[in-house]
Amino acid sequence: MDTLETRWKQFSAKKTAYLAYAKPLEQKVHSFLSFRPEAATAGAGPLAGLPFAVKDNIAVKDFPLTCGSKMLESLNSPYTATGVARLEAAGATVIGKTNLDEFGMGSSNEQSAFGATHNPWDVSRVAGGSSGGSAAAVAAGLVPFALGTDTGGSVRQPASFCGVYGLKPTYGTVSRYGMTAYASSLEVMGIASKSLELTRKVYDLMKGRDEHDQTSLDPEPGNTRQVKTIAVLDGLTDLEPAVEKAYQATLKTLRDLGYTLLPVHLGTLDYAVAAYYTIATAEASANLARFNGIRYGLRPVYAENPEDLIRKSRTAGFGDEVKTRIMLGTYVLRSGFQDQYYTKAQKVRTAIRNELQTVFDRADLLLTPTFPTRAFAHGDKSMTPYQQKLADKFTVTANLTGVPALSFPAAVEDGLPVGMQFTAPAFEEARLFEAAARFATVVGVPDCPGTSLDWSK
Amino acid sequence: MYQTHVGLEIHIHLNTESKVFCGCKAHFGDEPNTNVCPVCMGYPGVLPVLNEHALELAYIVSRALNCELSKRTLFDRKNYFYPDMPKNYQITQFHEPVGQHGTIEFALPDGSVKKVRIHDVHLEEDAGKMIHAGDMTLLDYNRAGYSLLEVVTEPDLNSGEEAEAFLHAFQRVVRYLGVSDGNMEEGSMKCDTNVSINTVGAGLGTKVEIKNLNSSRFVKKSIEYETRRQATVLEGGNKVSQETRLWNENRDVTETMRTKEGGLDYRYFPEPDLPPFVPDAAFLKRIEVAQVELPLARKLRLAREFGLTREQADFVTDHRFTAEFFERAAQLTGGVPHAAGVAIANWLMGDVQKELNHFSLTLEASPLTADRLAQLQKLLDSGRIHSKIAKTLLVAVFEEDKEPEALLKEKGLEALTTEDQLAPIVEGVFAAHPAVVEAVKAGDARQKGFLVGQVMKATGGRAAPDLVNALLAKRLG
Amino acid sequence: MDIQELETTAALAQIELGQGDLQKLGDAVSQMLDNFRKMNELDTTGLEPTTHALVKDNRVRPDSVEPSHLADALVERSPELEDRFLVIPNVL
Repeated sequence: MDTLETRWKQFSAKKTAYLAYAKPLEQKVHSFLSFRPEAATAGAGPLAGLPFAVKDNIAVKDFPLTCGSKMLESLNSPYTATGVARLEAAGATVIGKTNLDEFGMGSSNEQSAFGATHNPWDVSRVAGGSSGGSAAAVAAGLVPFALGTDTGGSVRQPASFCGVYGLKPTYGTVSRYGMTAYASSLEVMGIASKSLELTRKVYDLMKGRDEHDQTSLDPEPGNTRQVKTIAVLDGLTDLEPAVEKAYQATLKTLRDLGYTLLPVHLGTLDYAVAAYYTIATAEASANLARFNGIRYGLRPVYAENPEDLIRKSRTAGFGDEVKTRIMLGTYVLRSGFQDQYYTKAQKVRTAIRNELQTVFDRADLLLTPTFPTRAFAHGDKSMTPYQQKLADKFTVTANLTGVPALSFPAAVEDGLPVGMQFTAPAFEEARLFEAAARFATVVGVPDCPGTSLDWSK
Repeated sequence: MYQTHVGLEIHIHLNTESKVFCGCKAHFGDEPNTNVCPVCMGYPGVLPVLNEHALELAYIVSRALNCELSKRTLFDRKNYFYPDMPKNYQITQFHEPVGQHGTIEFALPDGSVKKVRIHDVHLEEDAGKMIHAGDMTLLDYNRAGYSLLEVVTEPDLNSGEEAEAFLHAFQRVVRYLGVSDGNMEEGSMKCDTNVSINTVGAGLGTKVEIKNLNSSRFVKKSIEYETRRQATVLEGGNKVSQETRLWNENRDVTETMRTKEGGLDYRYFPEPDLPPFVPDAAFLKRIEVAQVELPLARKLRLAREFGLTREQADFVTDHRFTAEFFERAAQLTGGVPHAAGVAIANWLMGDVQKELNHFSLTLEASPLTADRLAQLQKLLDSGRIHSKIAKTLLVAVFEEDKEPEALLKEKGLEALTTEDQLAPIVEGVFAAHPAVVEAVKAGDARQKGFLVGQVMKATGGRAAPDLVNALLAKRLG
Repeated sequence: MDIQELETTAALAQIELGQGDLQKLGDAVSQMLDNFRKMNELDTTGLEPTTHALVKDNRVRPDSVEPSHLADALVERSPELEDRFLVIPNVL
């Protein structure tokens, strides 16, 4: 058990001190949409007494489930997600629901209907997204770990922006039951934490087949081979200089640690973002159809007939980014366009899988930056929603192919953290942990300034 | 001269305990919104979990309809908004349905056999129920998520009468298979039709879909109406427009619901929440084991083996239980199959049916078993009872739930068939009615019946009539 | 994407678009579609579409009733009720 975990185990006994620490920080960062540390109890089990935060698109009974949307502002969840329930059974307690881009659609947290989360390293900057609240809460030391959802990089990118670990497990190894669906075939619940060991522990407790999710899987026993060869991309361009610098430093460190770096060319990577957004929006257009103001959610004051009710509810309940993606997804599935877009994207997905497989035939891991930039400023005109989507190019591949990936803190450049990403073959989470742990033995990335665990003393 | 082409889309509720994608009870008539959970109410974060039995029943029907069975069946999302559909998409099968390219034979009212091709058989979920009440619509989601099987035929039917006969035949098939109640009035079977007409030999015409058909009679009437309507359109030199129409049962007409232009684009795509299902050998074995002799085959075989008329064969094969009852009773009766078969069929259509009606019972629930009916027929065949006593015994079986043999002994109803038994009784009647005897001897044959009646009365009807007549003749000289 | 297509798509998605939205969302959608069309550069001849990321074995559940005991909680969450029925306006 590392020091972080030991300190946090005292949480429920030292709530007053915790609240004195947490409240002013949270006011600055706005990582939570609901925050109830007072109610936390000391449980029993391997995570006894540990508080944690859950992204607000994951169901926790009797907590709100807003999904960052006006549509669900009033909804309390009647049930708990399997992943959360497994952690609760291990003794951990949910103390709040974290902010996110509406329904997970965004890379900045600025698409939250309830105001953006600010990066604890520099509150003028974004925390990333869509699990920005979870990453920020962890970075600010408000929780030892937090759950997010990763559809196209939504755990890893904010983890990179906030200087913490962000794990996207193999598709299906963590149940999706209770995770509000955005793109069902791409997403999985993920974990953000400053502790790699705790990340692994939480993953181990959450993973495994769930009878409520027929796409869930028991992880196959990984082959125990040690990581020796790490693939790196040939001709990597368009990185922000600070990220480029951190990337080069990471390569050097890995080489110094004795890893063989194998340059590879991934030709299909150029089409990953297009394929990803085609599939994600197509699935989203159906997944978000259930929100119509009839059974729960935003109901217009007056409606003439059922169709009027549904339309008014959706028009008032969804923000622009969500509407754009629903429109896009509806369009790419329409008859006459489906073959050209949706089906084509599913074939591109196959091509990407095949090409990635050839990489893993020769290498144990793939290293890339997590995102081409560090945390950008709120309202940065060069980072339009379109630019943000294009920048998902390093993260979406893991979602399209189902394989696991981990963003790890690799450097701090000009006061802002930079994350790098390991991607492994399916079910080989162990390789991610192994290589990231070795990297951390030689590169120590500091905690966010102004945060500490001192309240526990 | 025009020819009518009709295809059917038949939906049946499958007999499952729970819904198709969640563990809620699949049951009608409960308080509104009681058999619901986050899954069938379309809450955020929930996922469908496929009911294996529903899938198995879908394969059983597909196999019975001679379909090619899917080796890797897949679900799809059909996208459209409707208040009774919680997710605003229906989980159905589009790309890889359970069964495709099947055929089914059925008998037309004139007894001839017709073959209809099956386009596909697929499993899907039902929607909730909407009740319109003034300016409100009330929603009940108890039915949302019921397992629904859709069977789509090719347009091989050529009249309303054929469609009605087909529906009845299909209903018998699903009941024989035990997969559904197939009851249109109670809503466990629904049918939409597509109707087109064209000059004979010119192929299909422009297809019109008809919905809101709540009975097989409406199916027949709506096709007949639609045939006339389309003929009038064509004769007026106009084109039939491709559209969906609703049957108005109050006015006996079809009315436009939506035209092709305003048609829906369902944007089908594979359901990512449900992995494909690949039936293994054990699963396919279960599908084979569940197959039964279908009603038409059974009817033709029973008619042949037991010499039944079409009417008799139709009657005994209408329900699987009756058919099995019949066959067993006829076999147990023994003797010449044709004689036994006709006798058992007559029992079932006549006195047995009468008693079932009288006691408001189904054959299945009644105390009469195939074995008991065969016993009764064997008693008759052996002459130990005659037909009147047999009817008395049948009623006794219904009233007392005992074996006919036992009842026969208990009530002393066995026929008196020997001279030793009857001669003394005849003597007694002669002694009691000397005047009548004299009259008969003098040639008044009409009075002879009186004497027979007296013997019968004295024996409680058990005297064998032939022997009584013989004894009287002998005694009268 | 032209206005007509945009409106048809919005109608299918049950979203109302005002004049400003048509322009703004229309541009955003068109920009992404342009990006999607780049996929045509990649030859995918002979490739099957991937519809499920990782598939192992058949997944089914037995046909047994498992009540959620949440029916009341779900009914209560509806914005408008009449007894246990959920209420919406009628089609008039």
